[in-house]
Amino acid sequence: MARKVPNRITLTVDGREIEADEGAMLVDAAKHGDIEIPVFCYEPKLGQPVGACRMCLVEVEGIPKLQTACSTPVRDGMVVHTRTEQVKEAQNAVVEFLLVNHPLDCPVCDKGGECPLQDITMGWGADRNRMVDEKRHFEKPVPLSPLIAIDRERCILCYRCVRFSQEVSEDSQLQLLERGDRSYVGTFDDRPYIAPFQGNITELCPVGALTNYTYRFQARPWDIEQGGSVCTLCPSQCNVSFTIRDEQVKRVIARDNPEVDDGWLCDKGRYGFQAMYSLDRVINPLRYEEGRPVPTGWSEAIDLAAAGLAESAGKTAALVGDASNEEGFLVQSIVRDGLGSADIDCRQAPAASRETVIAFSDPAISARTVDIDTADVVLVLGTDPIHSSPAYDLRIRKAVRRNGTALAVATDRPSALDGGATEVERYAPGQVASFLRDLAAGVASGSDSGIAGLLLGAEEAVIVWGERIGRGESGGEALAALLELSRALGLAGKAESGLIEIPDVANARGLREVGCLPDAGPGLSRTNVGRDVEQIRAGLESGEITSLILFGVDPLRDFPDTDGWRRALEVAGHVVCFSMNATATTEYADIVFPLESHAEKDGTVTHPEGRLQRVRPSAKRPGDIRAGWMALAELSAAIGHETGIHSAPEAFEAVTIAVPFYGGLTDVKIAGRGIRWQDNEAASLFAENLASASASNGAAASVSVGPAGESSPGTPGDSRPGDESPGGPDQKLTLGTYRDLWADTTTDLSPALNYLMPAQRLEISVADARRLGLSRGDDVSVTAGETSVNARVALRSALPEGTCFLIEGTIEGNANVFSNGRPARVEIGKPEVKLDLVAAGTAAAGEQPADGNQ
Amino acid sequence: MSISPEEIKVVPRGPEPGGAGGAYRAFGETLRGLRTTMGRMFEKPVTIQYPEEKTPVYPRFRGRHKLHRFEDSHLEKCVGCSLCAAACPADCIRVVAAENDPEDRVSAGERYAAVYEINLARCIFCGYCEIACPFDAITMGHDYEMADYNRSDLIFTKEMLLAEPVERTPLRREGE
Repeated sequence: MARKVPNRITLTVDGREIEADEGAMLVDAAKHGDIEIPVFCYEPKLGQPVGACRMCLVEVEGIPKLQTACSTPVRDGMVVHTRTEQVKEAQNAVVEFLLVNHPLDCPVCDKGGECPLQDITMGWGADRNRMVDEKRHFEKPVPLSPLIAIDRERCILCYRCVRFSQEVSEDSQLQLLERGDRSYVGTFDDRPYIAPFQGNITELCPVGALTNYTYRFQARPWDIEQGGSVCTLCPSQCNVSFTIRDEQVKRVIARDNPEVDDGWLCDKGRYGFQAMYSLDRVINPLRYEEGRPVPTGWSEAIDLAAAGLAESAGKTAALVGDASNEEGFLVQSIVRDGLGSADIDCRQAPAASRETVIAFSDPAISARTVDIDTADVVLVLGTDPIHSSPAYDLRIRKAVRRNGTALAVATDRPSALDGGATEVERYAPGQVASFLRDLAAGVASGSDSGIAGLLLGAEEAVIVWGERIGRGESGGEALAALLELSRALGLAGKAESGLIEIPDVANARGLREVGCLPDAGPGLSRTNVGRDVEQIRAGLESGEITSLILFGVDPLRDFPDTDGWRRALEVAGHVVCFSMNATATTEYADIVFPLESHAEKDGTVTHPEGRLQRVRPSAKRPGDIRAGWMALAELSAAIGHETGIHSAPEAFEAVTIAVPFYGGLTDVKIAGRGIRWQDNEAASLFAENLASASASNGAAASVSVGPAGESSPGTPGDSRPGDESPGGPDQKLTLGTYRDLWADTTTDLSPALNYLMPAQRLEISVADARRLGLSRGDDVSVTAGETSVNARVALRSALPEGTCFLIEGTIEGNANVFSNGRPARVEIGKPEVKLDLVAAGTAAAGEQPADGNQ
Repeated sequence: MSISPEEIKVVPRGPEPGGAGGAYRAFGETLRGLRTTMGRMFEKPVTIQYPEEKTPVYPRFRGRHKLHRFEDSHLEKCVGCSLCAAACPADCIRVVAAENDPEDRVSAGERYAAVYEINLARCIFCGYCEIACPFDAITMGHDYEMADYNRSDLIFTKEMLLAEPVERTPLRREGE
């Protein structure tokens, strides 16, 4: 369904002629004529208007009764009056009604000063209340969830939060309970509202009924400043606005950008700011002496770091993770130009080659995020957006709910989107290549069943795929098959359809494009091929690499093969680590430099759809933290490679010069909403990359597409789990791993989010559990070879028999110890020692997965 | 050229100097003034021996701020709403609120002022804070002796504002 261009019509509001889109709601249309109609319940982000609050009553000529402007679409020639006596009387009456039970405790209410009820009462209300009876009373404030306090006396029953829960995040936990004047917002049985997007209801609430515990009584609207920036905690890169008081972030609210986040924020982005002020934050350079960190001045730290790096020139490697484009560019410049090495990577596990990256970056087959809204079919492939990029989860739900988009889900682990999907297919962990080959073959042969049929029947199809499918031995094949699929669907020739990749780290796309890849320089140009992340680890272990720069990465938590990385870091000669917080990895460093958070950084990041967005500094850097570009430029100069960069704008300019297709991008063009580089004039320069990639490598793009099983002879774990006879001699299960939204440092270091910290849990199908004699809550040990992890059993009926899942990145029992991307066959048994590492508080959180609608 | 009678303007003039009338006019007014002077010479002096003695101020005098407690419960009236800070044209009030512990309340409502500071070096004593306060928690008192040696000492904290004004003017001792 292509986006419709609505007709323009003319209507008259209060005597003014206003031009508006046909079908627009009267409230919105009136704004074009600078006429404000007061509303409480109307919020376009929530979908269809409900007309619950009656605040927007207006007089429409030809209709005897007053109409709700929020739910009246405009027609050509309509004549509307918003200021007649009748309307005024109605408005006064509505405000008076709303205030009948409102406690008017504005001085103690956190909303005071930014409260629509205050504003509307001032603007449209009568100045007195005739109510003499007792107002209704509730216990207040009570926790609606560990993050949100609810004050039911203040509630005006506008339904916004309930609509959000039911129609946007679709967790359906919030309900309006009881009837009439006893109605109140709550959850079934007063259970806590646990969902990954709950923070949004505090922003939606037009009164002070829903408030954040993190912001409770922290500041008043006149005490604060707002600083717009971009959240870089996940690839969604939602636009946020930081509430700053006393130069510190006190709150994070959404900054509407319909093209990126639709105006929603996940709870990690909203409450994760607390991690910026945790005690674990590195606030000055550290030098490790006999295993102990010693605070050091910047110049000394830079000299020490440079001396160590220069000593091992040519044998240096760098890994980049949480970095802006400028920082990534400077790191690769230090490694390539300063130290004469080519070993740099920005991925957690080896994935696509340069040619494949270029093929997927082709603007012709790339979709925009907004294309999801209007697509006929959305295929979610190998990623669960709620964990990898929560904003996409909401957008896909919106497309299904409001646009009737057919959703197809093809993942190894049951995803949160399964419920709304038309087609769901499961492949065993590591089997994505054969699944995709089948799918591509199905599409090529014109199959009319399953996902292939759905995709073929669609005019516009958007495929949202996870970077992870490219991991492991068959990763290359999987990506080639995906390209084959997009070719078979003819995505290149269709507007408003294409592919969107969900990478593992927030700025993955930007880092690749500025040259943090072993086989591609800035602008994905051809360069000396260096070692990728796994070869860097091997090189460290074998002594071929002696020094290492870690920029915003924590291999011991995030990368597959934890033990291998531990061995590598132990033998590494000189480790320079840039890190925001003290982590397991910084223990192995020789020099640690502090990193800025996304509230302090000045730089650009690239959204998965190619949109460059600017992270703007809003808060003060704690301690002696310096800008990342500055530290890198100084380090570069100290090793004898002068970058000529002395300011943040110069750093960005250097990036736009080095990356041809970023050419001509400026802060002005990026502005507040960002700009896709594909929409910039210089995007045509990307064609050079396409030409060079197809010349150098036709093989990657033309893997033969045949039926599954033929081209993948017996690698371990390759047999489909269904083929196995349950209860046979082989009691092993195929293990898959996934990164939980909450399994990360931000959750650990934000007191508000601590309760969400997942304890390791083994997701297992009901049949397997029965066969192995396990039930929910059992403690088990999961063993593959010599590696073992303790976990608690969680049963999932949607999981295919023969597979099981563990979480990556948990504090205890991190599943990354099993080599990722190569599915392990694991044995499940009782742990030898009963572990008491699962504390009572986290165990409860473990049973409440982030997927809200379970 | 002759002047027509219409063109002649009559200008009033003072009496001619000299004579008895002249003498009266020269000294009469002076003597009348001296009568006031002489009359005061026999009154008690009006000098007030500041700082030992002080002039009373008018009831609506706007002096140093005071924060108040409820007389019965001794809870602070201030709930930390920060409206005084919003009203303050000199931007000299800083409020940081916090949540009351129901077991150990500071104020009556949900919130209280954890920090309440007025920078009296900046204050222009306009009294807007008093008008803005929804709980009559802050009023302008009658204390006007606030001079100090350090600017930082002029930042009054909540404890100082809740307490009675300290007598800060050095008094002359007996016989000094």
